[in-house]
Amino acid sequence: MKRFVIAAVAVSLSLAGAFTALAADSGKVGIVVKIGGIPWFNAMDAGIKEQGKKLGVDAFMVGPTSADPALQVRAIEDLIAQGVKVIGVVPNDAKVLEPVLSKAKEKGIIVITHESPSQKGADWDFELASATGFGEAHAKLLAEKMGGKGEYAVFVGSLTVPLHNAWADAANEYIKKNYPDMKLVGERYGVAEDVDKSRSTALDLISAHPDLKGFLAFGSQGPIGAGRAIEERRKTGEIFVLGPFSPGQGQKLIKSGAISGGFMWNPKQAGEVFVTLADKLMKGEKLKDGDDIEGLGVIHPDVENHNIIVDQLVPINKETVADLAKMGL
Amino acid sequence: MRKLVQSHATEFALLAVIAAICAVLSLTTDSFFSLGNAFDLLNTSSVNIIFAVGLLVVLIAGGIDISFAVGASVVQYVTALILGYIGGGGWMSGLLIAGSLGILLGAFNAFLIHRFRIISIVATIATFNIYFGLLMFFTQGVSIYDLPDWLTDRVVLFEHEMADGTWAEITLPVLVMVICVAATWLFITRTTTGRQLYAFGDNPEGARRFGINIGAMQFIAFGWLGMMAGIAGLIQAHYAQEVVPNALYGRELDVLAAVVLGGARLGGGKGSVLGCVLGVLLIAITQNGLNLLGVSPFAFKMIVGAIILVAITLSNTSIEKLLPFMRGARR
Repeated sequence: MKRFVIAAVAVSLSLAGAFTALAADSGKVGIVVKIGGIPWFNAMDAGIKEQGKKLGVDAFMVGPTSADPALQVRAIEDLIAQGVKVIGVVPNDAKVLEPVLSKAKEKGIIVITHESPSQKGADWDFELASATGFGEAHAKLLAEKMGGKGEYAVFVGSLTVPLHNAWADAANEYIKKNYPDMKLVGERYGVAEDVDKSRSTALDLISAHPDLKGFLAFGSQGPIGAGRAIEERRKTGEIFVLGPFSPGQGQKLIKSGAISGGFMWNPKQAGEVFVTLADKLMKGEKLKDGDDIEGLGVIHPDVENHNIIVDQLVPINKETVADLAKMGL
Repeated sequence: MRKLVQSHATEFALLAVIAAICAVLSLTTDSFFSLGNAFDLLNTSSVNIIFAVGLLVVLIAGGIDISFAVGASVVQYVTALILGYIGGGGWMSGLLIAGSLGILLGAFNAFLIHRFRIISIVATIATFNIYFGLLMFFTQGVSIYDLPDWLTDRVVLFEHEMADGTWAEITLPVLVMVICVAATWLFITRTTTGRQLYAFGDNPEGARRFGINIGAMQFIAFGWLGMMAGIAGLIQAHYAQEVVPNALYGRELDVLAAVVLGGARLGGGKGSVLGCVLGVLLIAITQNGLNLLGVSPFAFKMIVGAIILVAITLSNTSIEKLLPFMRGARR
């Protein structure tokens, strides 16, 4: 027992030492993502590390174990305590993060968000796809595949993810305006971050709506789950699944036709942009209309809502999927 | 009959609630009461049922386990690596490896609980973090998409083309689930060890004085859950056709809720396989029904919660209070 206590004390001392050593560094950039360990954020991590090395910025990613807003709050609190200069966040829930982000700002920390336009408490939010542009691109493709008529259903990551819902709004709006013969069933389903739930919900919806011809799935696991359901029901080529997903994960499904396609932006590029922006803002540079920033192109910042929105869409289809998958996405 | 109803109050309450929900859904939707939908329910609930019967054994023995779902993730991952290493394998070797790894993880829990007298919930919260932490640390969260073909090929055991051209099918997970359920039922109701588990869970001190080997009980209960979790993990990887390290994270509470709903007592000594299967099915049917009905997804959680409350209330109230005519019959 005594030996155990000594060992425990030794371990905690060395840990404490390690933490103080870390905190002594200056100019650190910590980026909290929705969830660690999924390919999307692994790619973002790669982008963060590469760009960090290139610009000489100490940037690192923090990935919570599940897509839980409370875990993100805790991670941000930790970063504040560590005394980082810049906090980057890809929020799970915009509202929940407001207080902790404001707290970070009060401490003089620069806050950059991604996939959460007009985030309260952020200095800047950047998007590689505009909500309208992204939603409409998917809606257009779905309408083409469905021949402009029939029923379709919409999945989002969660009913509280603002961006997924904005895409869904834009897509629905576009379809309503341009394809009056297409009909949305059942509002929208907050299942697309969970492959099992996406699969079972898709199976249920196919049963419930015999005329269902399409799924728009906004959320990384949604198209995969819906695609598997289509395979199970042997509806490949009759029901079309569209949405952004990880090409490596969906490669087989898109080749077999269970997923028809989608658009994405490159999470690795997003990771790089996080670091590039952090570097610029730490140096005190201002972002102006017409600036050409690496990874974003020419920007037109919306100063009032502190958004930087560009359209850098990458199509995922039978032709492009292999190359994208090779990038580790 | 009345005695049977009384001694299985939970099961009958659940059956009643399920029957009521099914009746409503059959009348209000075209697609609920169909072979295809029933099979879908079985196919998608299989993994949860396998987890549930495993957890049931631990609950009966008076323990609780939070770590089994992430344990299953560890098993999935390690099994996939071992299968890659030995160059393929097959269902037999796959299940054997997954089951054994699961037993190992379960035995580690039992070891902590028995040897150091740690309360099971504390011990398994610790191992939950250890298992998941180790998994994330060593894998860096990288998923495995390149699994052997035998594992990812869908195995359809029964298929039937419906009148409207859709296919109803029973797939391999259902067979595995049925075997696991049957094995657990035989084990806890028809073997001496199984009956000793009930006794041990109900009154550990009494069981010890009676000459039951306490340590063995812990290892058997947690080992059984470990084995079931390992098998469930492999089956999840089979139908998901990929191993994602955090795919099962968070599943433990869903399963725990379903098992307790099925009448297993958190204090030990009580619980049945039937109740536990019904508990999982009730939640699955509710979810399925909400989708089929086209209820607004914004209301899902509220309704699921309300139905759990109704089921629990029914099973806790004595049947005679609810059905006065039965009391009349007794007089």
